[in-house]
Amino acid sequence: MNDDAVEKTGEKAAGGMHLSRRGMLLGAVAGGFGAAIAPSHAEAGSSSKASTGSDDEIDLDRSIPFYGEGVAQAGIHTPPQRHILYMTFDLTTTDQRALQVLLARWSAAIAQLMKGEPIGQVEPERQGAVGFDTGEALGLDPASLSVTVGLGPRIFTEALGLADKRPPLMRELKQLPSDAFRPELTGGDLSLQACCDDQQVAYHAVRDLARIAKQTGVAQTRWTVMGFGRASAGKGQTTPRNLFGFKDGTRNIVDDEDFARHVFIADGPKWQHQGSYQVVRKIAMHIENWDTDRVSDQNAVFGRHKVSGAPLSGTYEFETPDFAARDANGDLLIPANAHIHLAAHENNGGIKILRRSYNYTDGINAVGQLDAGLLFISYQKDPAQFETLQERLGASDGMNEYISHIGSAIFFVPPAPREGSYIGEALFSAQT
Amino acid sequence: MPRIKSLVHSLRFGGITGLAALMPLLPGSALASEAPIHNGASQVAITLTGDKGGSCKLDHDAAKAGPVTFKVTNKTATSINEVELLSNDRILGEKENLAPGLPTVGFTVTLGGGKYQIYCPGAAKETVAFTVKGKAVKKSGTVANLFADGTKGYAHYVDGVVDAMVTAVGQLNAAIQAGDIDKAKAVYPGSRAFYERIESDVDGFVLPGFKATDNAGNLDYLIDMRASNLDPAVGWHGFHAIERDLYQNNAITDGTKKLAAELYANVKKLDELAGKLKYQPEDLANGAADLLEEVQTSKITGEEEAFSHVDLIDFAANIEGAEQAFAFLKPGMEKIDPDLTSLVAKQFANVHKVIETYRDPKVPGGYKVYTAALKASDAAKLSKIIQALQEPLSKISEKVATAR
Repeated sequence: MNDDAVEKTGEKAAGGMHLSRRGMLLGAVAGGFGAAIAPSHAEAGSSSKASTGSDDEIDLDRSIPFYGEGVAQAGIHTPPQRHILYMTFDLTTTDQRALQVLLARWSAAIAQLMKGEPIGQVEPERQGAVGFDTGEALGLDPASLSVTVGLGPRIFTEALGLADKRPPLMRELKQLPSDAFRPELTGGDLSLQACCDDQQVAYHAVRDLARIAKQTGVAQTRWTVMGFGRASAGKGQTTPRNLFGFKDGTRNIVDDEDFARHVFIADGPKWQHQGSYQVVRKIAMHIENWDTDRVSDQNAVFGRHKVSGAPLSGTYEFETPDFAARDANGDLLIPANAHIHLAAHENNGGIKILRRSYNYTDGINAVGQLDAGLLFISYQKDPAQFETLQERLGASDGMNEYISHIGSAIFFVPPAPREGSYIGEALFSAQT
Repeated sequence: MPRIKSLVHSLRFGGITGLAALMPLLPGSALASEAPIHNGASQVAITLTGDKGGSCKLDHDAAKAGPVTFKVTNKTATSINEVELLSNDRILGEKENLAPGLPTVGFTVTLGGGKYQIYCPGAAKETVAFTVKGKAVKKSGTVANLFADGTKGYAHYVDGVVDAMVTAVGQLNAAIQAGDIDKAKAVYPGSRAFYERIESDVDGFVLPGFKATDNAGNLDYLIDMRASNLDPAVGWHGFHAIERDLYQNNAITDGTKKLAAELYANVKKLDELAGKLKYQPEDLANGAADLLEEVQTSKITGEEEAFSHVDLIDFAANIEGAEQAFAFLKPGMEKIDPDLTSLVAKQFANVHKVIETYRDPKVPGGYKVYTAALKASDAAKLSKIIQALQEPLSKISEKVATAR
C-alpha cells in the first residue's frame, strides 16, 4: 500500500495522469469538439498540464478551486465531471451555532478534498485515536472534484433563528403532475453534490463529510444516489446519453449570458448573489418496457432521432427544432407531447434551466426489474422555472409511460465563500 | 447507577521537571516573549493559517505560572481543526471544531512552571513549544487521578453485573432442569441483559489449557455464540442454542438441560475471572465503542435474538453498559474536553429518549418484541441515533489514553 502511494506520488510529480476520453473510449466521434476551455466563475481549473482543447478530456490531476469572491460555488458552472455522489441530510439539532460549526467544518474539509488532500491524519500517531480521514482516497488525484453544499427549506425557520435569512424565493416545490415520491427518497435539510472524474474520490468526499456531520452532532444522512456517465453536457463537451440511449442536454445552458439570465441570482439580499436553487429529482426508468418499445416510438417520445440526436424536424443535432413542421399527412414532425416539444424554451415563455444530471442504478428492484434511471439535477434562479416546465411535462410528456419521479428535493446553494470564510457565513452575521 | 460523586474541582496541573530533553528548544526560546496578564490570566493568542501547508503560531511562547488563557483563531487553515495544550503528551486542555471563519474560541488552564507543547494536528509543524516560568505545582486532583477512580468504580460495576448474571442464569437453569418451558421463557429475556452490558470486557477469556484460536475454550463463544457465527468443530453452546430450543423447537430436551447446566457453569467461571480484571481508562472508552458496534451489527439487525426476538432488551443493555463506562470517565473527560463530553452525554440522552418509547412492561424483559415489521419500520431510525453517538464517542479513547 505504502509503495503504491509512493509510486503514485512520483507519477504525480512527473506531470500527473492524463486520460483522454476521446483516445480512451471513442475511436471516432462526430463533431462538437474544439471548444477551448474558458473557465469562469469559481471553477477556473488548475492543472500542471495545459489543456489541449476539449473539456471532454479527463485530466485526473486537475483541481478546481473551492474559494472565490463574488462567484458561485463550484459544481454548477463547472463542466460536468464523469461521476456523482449525491447525499441529503436531516438536521438533528436546532442549535444555530452547531449548524454554523458544521458549515465551517464542511467548508474547510471540502477545500482540502478539492485539492486532493486528506482532511486530516489517516493514521494518527496517538494511541487509541480514530483517523480524521478514512483514507480510501490516499494516493488518488483530485480528478476535478467539486463539492457543492445546499441548504434546504427547513434551515430558514424560526426554530434555528434563521427565518429572516430565508432567500426570498425559497420554498418547498409545489405538487406537480405525476409526482410519485417515496418519503425515504425525498427532502432533506442539507445537500452535498460531489462530482468527480474518479468515483472513489467522490465517494470518499461525501463519506468523510457525513462523518463530520455526525461528529459534530448536527446532521444525519437521509438519502443518497451514486451516479455515472454524466447525462447533461457542459460547454465544450459532446452531448452524453441517458439510459434511454438518447442524447441528453443538447440544448442545455452553456453560455455565460444564459447562466446570468436563468441560473445565478443577482438581486435581492446581497448574500444570495451568485446563489442558485438546486432542484433534484430521482427519476426511475422502466427500462424493460423501454427496451421493447419500437425505436420509431422512442424517437417520437423524445422528438429526436436516437443516434444522431437531430430533432425529428431536421438532420443535425444542434439544428433548432421546428415545432410547427408537418409531414405530408399534415402531422407534426415533432409530436405535441414529445419531450423536447414540451420542454423547449420557445414553448415556455423563454424559460431555461441548467441541467446537471447523472445516470444511476440501484441494481435490481423487488419485482426483478432493472432498477435504474436519472438523477435529475437542475439549477435555476427561481424554483418556478422548474415548476413551469415540469407542470407541462408531468401532465402530458409521452415519456411519462416510461418514468416515475420517485424522489425530490430543493435546496438553496449559497455563493462560494472567500478564503478565510465558509459556505453560508452571511446567514450568521448581522448584515442582510 | 453508580457514579462518582467526589469530583475534584480544583484544576491544577503538575509542573514537570526533567522534561527539557523531550522537547528540543526553539532557537528563539532564549528570547521567549512572556504573555501579558489581563483579568488575572496570562493571555496567549494562537493563530492558524493555511500558509506553508498549515501553520500554527503563538503570539507569546511563555507565561508566568498561574492561569493562562489561550485564544484560538483559525484564519485560513483548512487542514487544522483542533488545538491541544500538552504536557509530556498529556492533554491539559483543547479546542475542537476550529475552522476558517468561525469566531475566536478560548480555554483557560492553571499551569505550574515547566515545559509544555501546543499541538496542532494537520499543521506542517504540528508542535510548538510553550514555557511557563515559576514554581512547579504539585499534582493534586489531576485528571489521571479522576480516571484512576473511574476505572476502579467501573470494575465494581462489572463485578455487580456478573454476579447478577450468575443469579439470573441460575434461575434459567433451574426452570429448564425442571422441564418448565413457560417459566424458562419468562426468565430467558431478563437473563440476557447482564451479559450484554459487559460483553466487551469479557470477550477475550480463554479457559486454561486451550489455545487462543480454539473456540472450545473461548468463554464468549461458549456463552453467547449466535447461529450466524458457528464453528462446526465445536458445535453450538450457550444462550442462543437454548433460545432455539425454547422458542423455535418449543421443547425442553435432555440436550437443552445439558446446555443450560453448561451455561450456568461457564457463567460462574466468568464470574471468577471477571473479578480479577483491571482496567485502563481507554479500556472503558474502547469497551463502550465496542458495545455500540454490537448494537449496530447484531441488535438492530435482529440477528442476536433470532428466535425470541428480544433484541431490544440486549439493545438497551448494550447502551447501559456503554453509558456506565462513559459515566466513569466523565469527571476526567470534563477536565480535558468539556465540549466533547457534553456532546456525548447529549447523544446518550437522545438514545435514551428513543429506547424509552420501546418499553412494554407486559412483555418479559420489559421491551417490545422486535418483530420483522418493527424492524422494517424502525431499524433505520435506531441505527441513525446510534451513529450520532458512535462518532463523538470514538474520540474519547485517545483523550483518556494520554491522561495516564
